[in-house]
Amino acid sequence: MPDNKKNLLVHMVGINKSFYGNKVNTDVEFTLQEGEIHALLGENGAGKTTLMNMLTGVYFPDKGDIFFKGNKIIFDFPGKALRLGIGMVHQRFSLVGNLTVLENLILGHPDNKFVIKIPDKKKLIQSYMDQYSFQIDLDAIVDELPIGVRQKVEILKMLVREVDVLIVDEPTTVLTKQEADNLMKILKNIANSGKAIIFITHKMSEVFQVADRITVLRKGLKISTVDKTDTNPRELAKMMVGKENEITFERPQIEIEPGIVEVKDLFVNSDKGVFAVKDLSFSVAGGEILGIAGVSGNGQIELADALTGNRDVIKGKFLFKGLNVTHSSPEKRIDIGISYVPGDRINVGVAGNRSVWENIIMKVYRLPKFKKGLLLNNKKLKNYSEEIIKKYNIFLPGINLPALLLSGGNLQKLIIGREMERDCDLYICVYPTRGLDVGAAEFVRKAILQLRKKGKAIILISGDFEEILELSDRIAVMYEGKFTGIFNNGEHSLEEIGLMMSGCSREEAAKEMGNV
Amino acid sequence: MYKIILEQKERVSKKEDLIITLAAIGIAFVLVGIFIAFNGVNPFVALWKVMYSSLGSSYGISETLVKSIPLIFTGLSVAIALNSKLWNIGAEGQLFFGATLATAFVIYGPILPKPLELTVLVILGAIGGAIWASIPALLKIKFKMNEVISTLLLNYVAINIADYFLFGPWKGKDNFPYTPEFPPEARFSRLGFGRVHSALIIALVLVVILYILIYYTKAGYKLRLTGSSLKAAKYAGINIKKMMFMVFLLSGALAGLAGVSQVSGIEYKLHQHISTGYGYTGIIVAWLARTNPFIIVIFAIFLSILLKGADSLQIAMHLPAAVGVVMQALILFAILGSELFKNYNVKFIRRR
Repeated sequence: MPDNKKNLLVHMVGINKSFYGNKVNTDVEFTLQEGEIHALLGENGAGKTTLMNMLTGVYFPDKGDIFFKGNKIIFDFPGKALRLGIGMVHQRFSLVGNLTVLENLILGHPDNKFVIKIPDKKKLIQSYMDQYSFQIDLDAIVDELPIGVRQKVEILKMLVREVDVLIVDEPTTVLTKQEADNLMKILKNIANSGKAIIFITHKMSEVFQVADRITVLRKGLKISTVDKTDTNPRELAKMMVGKENEITFERPQIEIEPGIVEVKDLFVNSDKGVFAVKDLSFSVAGGEILGIAGVSGNGQIELADALTGNRDVIKGKFLFKGLNVTHSSPEKRIDIGISYVPGDRINVGVAGNRSVWENIIMKVYRLPKFKKGLLLNNKKLKNYSEEIIKKYNIFLPGINLPALLLSGGNLQKLIIGREMERDCDLYICVYPTRGLDVGAAEFVRKAILQLRKKGKAIILISGDFEEILELSDRIAVMYEGKFTGIFNNGEHSLEEIGLMMSGCSREEAAKEMGNV
Repeated sequence: MYKIILEQKERVSKKEDLIITLAAIGIAFVLVGIFIAFNGVNPFVALWKVMYSSLGSSYGISETLVKSIPLIFTGLSVAIALNSKLWNIGAEGQLFFGATLATAFVIYGPILPKPLELTVLVILGAIGGAIWASIPALLKIKFKMNEVISTLLLNYVAINIADYFLFGPWKGKDNFPYTPEFPPEARFSRLGFGRVHSALIIALVLVVILYILIYYTKAGYKLRLTGSSLKAAKYAGINIKKMMFMVFLLSGALAGLAGVSQVSGIEYKLHQHISTGYGYTGIIVAWLARTNPFIIVIFAIFLSILLKGADSLQIAMHLPAAVGVVMQALILFAILGSELFKNYNVKFIRRR
């Protein structure tokens, strides 16, 4: 029950919403009080984002009412929510990539006059940054910023608009541990200034780190709203998935086959034309998972792009099974058995508005077995897709519908299924579980371990510490385009790895921790 | 007091898509009607006149079909490019360049037996269009130049090149800007229905071939993927630059065929008015047909009904020649405007 001493900011009553016959929210009630951080917890597809999209006027409820500060609200124009003081930071950011941070922050601001005095605005925004302790270069072009910073810009944009309610949708999925901790501090600051925050997440640890109250959704139903002090992670997990489950991963000893990947003195440019990968050398064996840890934006993506042929190598060599493929085309690399599970699954991993089956066949349509004379055997290709959908348990509305209708977890299952089925020798997985719920993440991790069991070489690039530690045989820590350390899993503690991620060498990190 | 609100749609069904498109055309007709009424003509009479002149007699029907031939070619040209998200606004110029190159062979080359002569002309027309389209293609691939601007501007260059020959070396005996008449060997045969000529068969065969190409071949799959997402296509191992280049060449070749079909099928000579904006009307055809080759045929005929009708309005009812252009423009506006209804649910809410 809402605390009567505090003012009720938002009250959503009996909210129902369905898309094409699928119920996404059923009779959901939701309350938000001033100054609280309210976690909205649930698996992917539980209806969290949809509920919040209704609170911000993106969608309209089929049934039910929304009250804000005691008044019923009707969203009669797109900017209404923001005008009222409800702002949302979406998972997919809504920034204009080729404008500067400052331009993004003042874009569409209601106080803008016909002529905008940039220096005044800069001062104004600086004052907000000081108040909430942000550090962002206002003149930087948004596209050139790492994702973590872009997210701060999004949050700052809402603060500049003086919102009373700030909704953040899965904000930490793109952040490293340190960045996430920093974000939590920022959110607490914001809540302390009297604003209310709705924090959409499926990460239990974060809930207990910052939330005051927690609402759990499951399959579109509200399960319960509880105070943090009255509950524990186990109980919440039970509410979230409907059953208690403990996930353990087994990583049995297997024989490794050296020489699958040999990288020597590799240099790769970033989009800005400076070295993003500097003089990197490493090897990966078959049956081995090399986990690459690091703060996002330290050259991991450029490395993955270079190994898969999506980015030019400036200097150095990449040998795959003894074959020099440094400058081979992506097509060639696909054919010889290099698989890539990209970090940006929505824009790179699939062609969103093409159908599901067209996306599943993306890497196999060239095979002779799918040919029918000069033509493609579409029927056989569709059958192949159906098989993968079944085998990998992908839930989807229809094989001929666009892939972007799939939820994040199912989209990743599609990509993993597509890649696993091809039976490659090297798998490069970038942020494979980012933004996925517990169930889907477990599926992906098990799939990666299965690949290892089959003797495949795996390069796992991840921002998720636990994931790296759970899965990797060896760990490389990447910092500013170089490895500050590469070692067997278990040789260094979590803290030492954290230090390496911020630029310390292995020795420095060990020494630092030894001194404590 | 009512207020209009917009809600994002997840997706639009094919049926909805069709209804919205037809409704947009309907609204465009109402607007054209208002425009015609302002010119002092009863719009219903005008509509009747349009329909009667283009469909009311076998002559009318045949002339409508004649106009639809170049529109099928240019419609396919724009559509194939649109399939991979490239805007070819240059079909008009490619049409002229193709026609010019084919005409050059008629003027300077030997007169071959008819089937051979026509084959050479068709190939040269396609090559001409492809050459002209390769310029914006290279500019886009090498220098990232926007193809909308480069293809559009190159139209004027192509038309001026044709003009150079028409006012220069190819000037007619009576000093008018048109070439001598083509010999019978360089003319498409009539099909026994008015002026309808055998390029129509080429156009229809190409419709089938392109349909198969887009939906049932590797190249077509690559095309669809590239059109959907450049990043995903690159990730799938497709050489995007090569793909774009090939698409431009094909698009240009199709537009070049429209040029050949005009000079060898109807005009039997090259002059300044072999195209009444077929390259631009092709954009509307392709857009209306959602780039589906078969539906292109339907909309090519639909627009030639309007073109033919506009001609007769001009002659019989003394309406300005602009009526045809206004009609096309309003249809395009209505169609583009109707995109809103495909992406959003529009609701009316009573304001208290």
